[in-house]
Amino acid sequence: MDEVVAEYIRRTVLKIPRDEIMGVLRKWGFLSETQLGAINFRQTKDSISQEVVQLCEENSADIKQAAILDIIYNNIYPNKRVWSVYQMKKTGEETDLFDFTNFKKKFKRRLQSALKNVTISFREYEDNAIWIRIAWGTPYTKPNQYKTSYVVYHSQTPYVFISVSVLKSNLPLLCQALVVASNYHDIREMELRSHCLNSLKDIVFKRYSQNFQTHYPKQEKNVATENVDVRIIQEDKSEKERIQRVNREVFGDGPQPKLEFAQYKLETMFKSDPKMDVLEKREPFRCLVKFSSPDLLESLKSLVPAGMADAPLSPLLTCIPQKARNYFKIRERKGVLPGSFVRP
Amino acid sequence: MEERKAYSRDGVLAHLEMLEAQAHELALKQEEKEQQEEKLAGLKARVQELRARRDELRAKLELQQKRLLEKGGAETHPEQPSARAVLEWKIKSVKALLQLFYLTGISGKLTKRGVCFCISTAYEGTYLESYYLDVLTKPEVQIQRHSVPIFIPLEQIAKKYLQTDIRRFLSVLSDHLNAYAARRYQADQLQERFSDRLEGTLQRNSLCNLLVFHYNVPSDGRSFLFTARLLYADPCCSLPTEAIISCTPDAPAALAEVAAAHSDAFRRAALHKAFDSFSKAEETQDEALISPPGSP
Repeated sequence: MDEVVAEYIRRTVLKIPRDEIMGVLRKWGFLSETQLGAINFRQTKDSISQEVVQLCEENSADIKQAAILDIIYNNIYPNKRVWSVYQMKKTGEETDLFDFTNFKKKFKRRLQSALKNVTISFREYEDNAIWIRIAWGTPYTKPNQYKTSYVVYHSQTPYVFISVSVLKSNLPLLCQALVVASNYHDIREMELRSHCLNSLKDIVFKRYSQNFQTHYPKQEKNVATENVDVRIIQEDKSEKERIQRVNREVFGDGPQPKLEFAQYKLETMFKSDPKMDVLEKREPFRCLVKFSSPDLLESLKSLVPAGMADAPLSPLLTCIPQKARNYFKIRERKGVLPGSFVRP
Repeated sequence: MEERKAYSRDGVLAHLEMLEAQAHELALKQEEKEQQEEKLAGLKARVQELRARRDELRAKLELQQKRLLEKGGAETHPEQPSARAVLEWKIKSVKALLQLFYLTGISGKLTKRGVCFCISTAYEGTYLESYYLDVLTKPEVQIQRHSVPIFIPLEQIAKKYLQTDIRRFLSVLSDHLNAYAARRYQADQLQERFSDRLEGTLQRNSLCNLLVFHYNVPSDGRSFLFTARLLYADPCCSLPTEAIISCTPDAPAALAEVAAAHSDAFRRAALHKAFDSFSKAEETQDEALISPPGSP
């Protein structure tokens, strides 16, 4: 077995938490049940990974299998990477009879015709998600298995999720191959980025906030009648209820998609008291406002009920899931354009 | 006077006595009479009282009887149905109407700013998923949010029909969704019920409009691998428009007929039903081989 492959497998196994290693290897399906049973999981992770490499040696693993193991790892732990969303466009309206075999063929052909030294691997999942792993080389060097990009694509949708850790220069090539293989004409990057892949999917596939008024209303969750002392009166009960209602209308009932940032690049004029004369030149005051949180939308949702902001919240904050973007450029409001002055 | 003197002395006193006695008697009688009259008056009053009480009780009794008869649904009292009964009837008929809509697949409910439509899908008697659309009516008809999967061409359909003919929009969308649900159901059934006959995995896509799978066909004691490639070019149809069945090169020529028959079956019947028919055909074939017709 190739040394590079052995080392790669060893490092991949090391990344997996000890308790999950068995599960991941099972999903991989490259080692037999007896082989898996032989692994001693009570030793250090270092030793475990050595054992796994040994077993892979017995089965003569090559780079293809190692690449699949890497895809499986990234599929189980996608939140370790930053994902960007790309949108593809096509002009025709015919039904797309997406053929996976055809897609793979076209993608490989397009990519390899431009750059021979790449390792391309595919894996299809139950939810119709296609994972593509590309290890990049250069025209003169073999593919570097540690310089990888991952693509997640759901067939017959216009959205592609790409995680490019390094070598941004290969991005146009990758995008072109995707467009050709999926029968689209154009692709552009959306201003939407996050670690949480599922939340990005929720946002662009519009899978969040799915509480619809049905004829058979779900039982209103009875607010648990806490053992509240009857002598305690809530002075602003009606106001609290109003806030809850407005919040619900804006954010919906369900859990919010998970984003970590919202970034606003301001190119607006600084508005100050003319007497203070802060800026002599009348030019836009460039400023970057960045909100960060482990779960940004949930924290925005709880701002008003927590009393930290007034309802209603600024539409710049609440439009994030609907507009499917968390990077904004705000320019000066021109003329009588109402409301949104956000330029894509 | 002397005669009268002697005469009246006996007579006058006696007379007086007599008169006195008479007066006394009269007085007594008078008293008695008065007492009697008093008593009578008293009794009369009592009678009045009792009569009044009797009338009262009678009226009460009548009322109670009336009520009892009412509850028993007596024909004798055709009164107005109570407001409560009317309301209950209304609710019942509305619920029945809603159930009817649910069965037809498209139902709607007015919301604050428009309508919330629910499109329910079903295939061959099995209810599948429901999809919702929140449609605003002001300032213009537009879809606020929905639970339609992203690979259904909702925007295309909306662009064509939403503004002009909302019924057509719903009907076309319902066709798309029902066909998709049906195709997916068939593919799932194939994977679940015939996994033993399939070789490898079933290749499908999001819309389930292209399926590729390999399956075994027994013939003459051996089993041959067939490859099926089903294309559903019509997005509103749950049966394939094309069914390309191919066998391995080493298969006997006779199997070409079987392939053609299979292709036909796939284009006419649901996927899992077509497979059912293959199994049955193979069984009868086996039986024919074991006990050829004409033999005892």
